[in-house]
Amino acid sequence: MKLGLLIDLDTCVGCHACATACKEWNASSSVSGPLSDYQPFGAEPSGVWLNRVRHYEVGDYPASKTINFPMSCLHCADADCVSVCPTGASYKRADGIVLVDQDKCMGCNLCAWACPYGARELDEASGTMKKCTLCVDRIYDELLPPEDRQPACVLACPTHARMFGDFDDPESEVSRVTAERGGFGLLPELGYAPVNRYLPPREPKALPGVDDARALLERGLASLASPAIRR
Amino acid sequence: MKPALSIVFFTVASGAGLGLLALLALADLCPVPLLSPAVLPRGIVLALLLVAAGLASSVLHLAKPSNAWRSFARLRTSWLSREAVLAALLFPLAFFYLLVVSFGAAGVRRAVSAIVICLLAWGLLLCTAMIYASLKPIRQWRTAWTPAAYLLLGHWSGALVLLVLAIGYGGEPRIWAWLAAALGVAALVAKLGYWRHGAADRRGKSVLTLEQAIGVPQGVRPPGVSVAQARLFDAGHTQRTFLTDEFIFRLARRHAQALRGAALVLGFVIPLIWLVAGPRHWAAALAVAVLALAGLLAERWLFFADARHTVRLYHGDART
Repeated sequence: MKLGLLIDLDTCVGCHACATACKEWNASSSVSGPLSDYQPFGAEPSGVWLNRVRHYEVGDYPASKTINFPMSCLHCADADCVSVCPTGASYKRADGIVLVDQDKCMGCNLCAWACPYGARELDEASGTMKKCTLCVDRIYDELLPPEDRQPACVLACPTHARMFGDFDDPESEVSRVTAERGGFGLLPELGYAPVNRYLPPREPKALPGVDDARALLERGLASLASPAIRR
Repeated sequence: MKPALSIVFFTVASGAGLGLLALLALADLCPVPLLSPAVLPRGIVLALLLVAAGLASSVLHLAKPSNAWRSFARLRTSWLSREAVLAALLFPLAFFYLLVVSFGAAGVRRAVSAIVICLLAWGLLLCTAMIYASLKPIRQWRTAWTPAAYLLLGHWSGALVLLVLAIGYGGEPRIWAWLAAALGVAALVAKLGYWRHGAADRRGKSVLTLEQAIGVPQGVRPPGVSVAQARLFDAGHTQRTFLTDEFIFRLARRHAQALRGAALVLGFVIPLIWLVAGPRHWAAALAVAVLALAGLLAERWLFFADARHTVRLYHGDART
């Protein structure tokens, strides 16, 4: 199994709801919580987040586009963060989820150094490394209705830009959509084989150009004028 | 990368201690006596003190030192785990060696302990270097120059410390001065090679760009264009984060050059000149060793401050 997230850069509006929902769920999770905040009401509020949304501008006007880019752990198949961990706190499960055993971590930061994506953050209060758990305490919880057994970020997304599923199964929805829309993994050059996939923006339907507008205007004028002419 | 002082001190101090230990063990193995009998036990103690000070400093780097004992768990894949195991083996075995040496017993037991200690010291130096050299997100470190420099710089600084003892306890150690000079030149070559490699890599084909990081080649771009430049528009946070603290260390080129100069002059030029023409007095040797270690602290600080982690792309660096 390769559980992971599929993130649609076409529909993501950069609202940070996924990041906030992630923070809310995981702060009280027994797997990763608490997610400490430093000076939450002070002058320089900061803290641990397992999912961060950055915003990029690609290209120059008029051919420019804003890309909202959510990033959390990509649950790499070849996760160096796991192999460099000296204590065995970082581990990869059979379902593909990479986790940190909070009881074993000694806070050496080496896993964060080994991660090219910035997916791991040290919690200064607990002294341990925190990362996306793919809401492992939601997705297998049989007390939840089946539709709620998904990561908090996926459920919170107002534009349905996030999907959760098994990338190992070619019939799964995430695999199908990835194949249909050219989903890609981040920085394949580095050889981490990240599982999460991103969907590039769709080619939009052509907007009416200047010539189209003139034709439209002429047709409109003609239709307005025609009754007068007929009279 | 953020140059954490605890790690900078650790690698320099334990590097010198391990280099010293390896050189002492090798000298002990040599059939011709190269050191006066007073030097060997004192040298071993000094080396262990340096290594212990370094390791203590490295523990300060941990956010949760109470779990440090668990670090023997991933011997098969983690260089840090290997370093921890070798460090734990070093002290009891080095104490045993110290006892054997102190009681003056020659013979197989002493030779075997000397070989074991020398191999352990080399192993530890290699482990420390490989922790860095094995990290894919930091390309400057991923080169054979990294372990070469760590091994040679450890022996070079160890040799300078050894000279202090050798001069203090036994008069003119000609051969040690030559050996130290040879190590110094080799270490300098390794460090220059590392810097050259870093500069060449920065211009080379393996450079990663912000566009690659966010998938512009895979279609994350405006409609109708095939090539587009990307810029960070908003990092999404208003204050520092763990990632900006740890990875977004910006070093002005001016400061980098000044530090490189200091590392070269203090760490190599002054000690090498002294080796060729300086007064053979233990106080002079001590002053030179201290200056060289200060130079290596600057060199090690730069090793971290100069290294650029891939995650900087996501924070707006155009290339890394």
